[in-house]
Amino acid sequence: MAIIDVSHFSFSYAPGQSRQRSVLSDVSFQVEEGEFCVLVGPTGCGKTTLLRSLKPELSPVGTRAGSISVMGLPLFEGGELVPADRGGIDRKTSAAAIGFVMQDPAMQIVCDTVWHELAFGLENVGTPQEEMRRRVAEVAHFFGIEPWVRQSTEHLSGGQMQLVNLAAVLALRPRLILLDEPTAQLDPNARKRFLFLLARVNRELGLTVVMATHAPEDVSEYAARRIDLGDIGELGSRDDLCESLRPRWAARRSSLKAQPALQAKEASFRYAREDAWVLRGLDVSVAAGSVHAIVGGNGSGKSTLLKLLAGVEKPQRGKIVNRLAASQAYLPQDPKALFVCDSVAEELAEWRRRCGYSEADEQVALERFGLADHAFQHPYDLSGGQRQKLALAKLLLTDPQLLFLDEPTKGLDPASCAEEARLVRALADEGRTVVMVTHDLDFALAAADVVSMVFDGQLACTEPVESFFANNIVYRPNGRSRLFGALL
Amino acid sequence: MRYNPFATYHPAVAFAYLACAIVISMAAMQPVFVAISLVGSVACSAVCRGARATVRSFAWIVPLVAVVTIANPLFSASGITELFRIGPRAVYAESLVFGACSGGMLASVFLWFACYSACMDSANSMALFGNSLPVVSLMVSQVMRLVPQFVLRGQNIAAAQDAVSAASPATRRQRLGGRFRIVSVLMSWGMEDGIERSDAMRARGYDCGAKRTTYKRYAFGRADAFAMAVIAVLAAASGACAAALCLRFAFYPTLSGWGAWWGYVPYALLMAVPGVLRFKEWLVWR
Repeated sequence: MAIIDVSHFSFSYAPGQSRQRSVLSDVSFQVEEGEFCVLVGPTGCGKTTLLRSLKPELSPVGTRAGSISVMGLPLFEGGELVPADRGGIDRKTSAAAIGFVMQDPAMQIVCDTVWHELAFGLENVGTPQEEMRRRVAEVAHFFGIEPWVRQSTEHLSGGQMQLVNLAAVLALRPRLILLDEPTAQLDPNARKRFLFLLARVNRELGLTVVMATHAPEDVSEYAARRIDLGDIGELGSRDDLCESLRPRWAARRSSLKAQPALQAKEASFRYAREDAWVLRGLDVSVAAGSVHAIVGGNGSGKSTLLKLLAGVEKPQRGKIVNRLAASQAYLPQDPKALFVCDSVAEELAEWRRRCGYSEADEQVALERFGLADHAFQHPYDLSGGQRQKLALAKLLLTDPQLLFLDEPTKGLDPASCAEEARLVRALADEGRTVVMVTHDLDFALAAADVVSMVFDGQLACTEPVESFFANNIVYRPNGRSRLFGALL
Repeated sequence: MRYNPFATYHPAVAFAYLACAIVISMAAMQPVFVAISLVGSVACSAVCRGARATVRSFAWIVPLVAVVTIANPLFSASGITELFRIGPRAVYAESLVFGACSGGMLASVFLWFACYSACMDSANSMALFGNSLPVVSLMVSQVMRLVPQFVLRGQNIAAAQDAVSAASPATRRQRLGGRFRIVSVLMSWGMEDGIERSDAMRARGYDCGAKRTTYKRYAFGRADAFAMAVIAVLAAASGACAAALCLRFAFYPTLSGWGAWWGYVPYALLMAVPGVLRFKEWLVWR
């Protein structure tokens, strides 16, 4: 018997809500017990809505049609929620048997320490103390969390947080785990580790896994079932992209010899006196009018380097020379840090008087970034890609000559990534200098002129993008990716 | 602290010990008791917080004791042993001793509380009180998670705004406004988070109708029971002795009613507990 049975399910958000109205229409599928199933589709195709509809506590508010049953129990019949006293799922069963992992690793963490986070769900459903200790121990062991089980959750990396989230769900001994783009915000290494462990959960423990993603190739070796909810674009090959970019690279080569706009000279930095050095005697030089990508592993210090270059932090030794310091802009990892107003239009108008641009300029920006239809929405109601665009639009209205981007593609789908890449290139063509930190090598290949790799607090190498990736054997972009497809 | 001797015991042991020490220190206003508790608190602080941190806290403890000691005879001229005169006022040895006792008591209580915060972090306190107050224990845990997150986020927002020099504030008013903006960003961001976090909580069964239980991180073993018994016996004996001796003791007109020497032994032993635990550790790792 199928563990999930969705038949002719439709969903639309209630009118008046800012999101798009009809999200799912007439979706039918079944998932067998023990399957690993991916829900594939682009941003906004209703993956999240569908997954949330499978978990009664999270089911979104709106109008539905059709029916869903999970573990043989009816959830929705004829578009109506079936209450627990009429054969539906009661909340305790649902909490334990249906696990749910969301996209943002930090947002789901409730408690201050790892062990408490693992125990949180068990406490909620009233597990006896002896049993609780055993289950926490079990999952901590399975995921290799034991060495840092006493740590505070605040200091974990994104990958560790997401493992804790998965482990905390698993401690409840679910039969079904639903995951909503769980790896979208992780770096490539953490992503692979997470998916590998998820596949172990599926194979060794026999749990049913349903995961929404816009990168099904990441799990192609694990997932047996694939349900398409929308078109996610074609894969493109790296060689084709390189071929198409070659003329551009050749044309821009001369600009790389321009005077440096920004330099770090033997910069050393640490966050506190007792801490280890994050950067030690690092030298870097960014040519005016170029796109300089800084890549490197987790914790290599690349984000710290960006903060130093942007003047957010000061090096304890060495110095930063920034010729464009008076005309720079900084796009933080989470663009929410830049939003202070209640609507997109107001957001763009915020610095009008300070920087002396006009309302007409704002209109142009709205059009250019495809935000004209969203002018009166709250910035928080935009999708991740739109939020990124709004932040960029807001920054570009100040007409900066130097732009800092911190992980500009985090959490974006390939189509948005491609737009971002085109934008960055366009900025460089306008003569602006862009410095960006990224772990997305595909994006670096598509957008950058020069790539520097940070390792052990110093630059391991700095080369034009073409030779950088030609000379790397292991650390290089994917052979085929949807971003390349979207750009070709 | 790495060498904290209480770390190997259930948090209840540290709590019981420090609570008894604090109560008796505060109640027993008698020169010998004050001296013993001052020595005890310094020893405990050295053991729990490290010698360095303890020496550093002398920087304000010594002046504090000195000020209280000197102040008392200036304000209360009682006693019969006249030491010297400042103008028309006589300074008596008894009131000087009384001042020293008050200062010493204050200092020792401060040190005890410093030890308390070194031994009992939020996790420990929760392990003690969490069972009877599951909701409070969860709340504390959440607050402990949210506060650092808010601080970090505030720093990020400030950094993001400062780094946009192209739109740097022209006037002081704009700059001030920018700082208020940070608060408003934090608020709306926090509320947005709240929605998602409450989803995450409900998804894992928060408020699902079952009675909440609490994860028990520490087991109360035989060693804990033994340590507790020792502390209880010593504390009870010291309490009784302190009550009897303090009642008989008088600062004025002259210091009198010292009582028998053995009356001080239980309290001295109680004060020696952290040192003994530390010594045991030292023997093991010698």
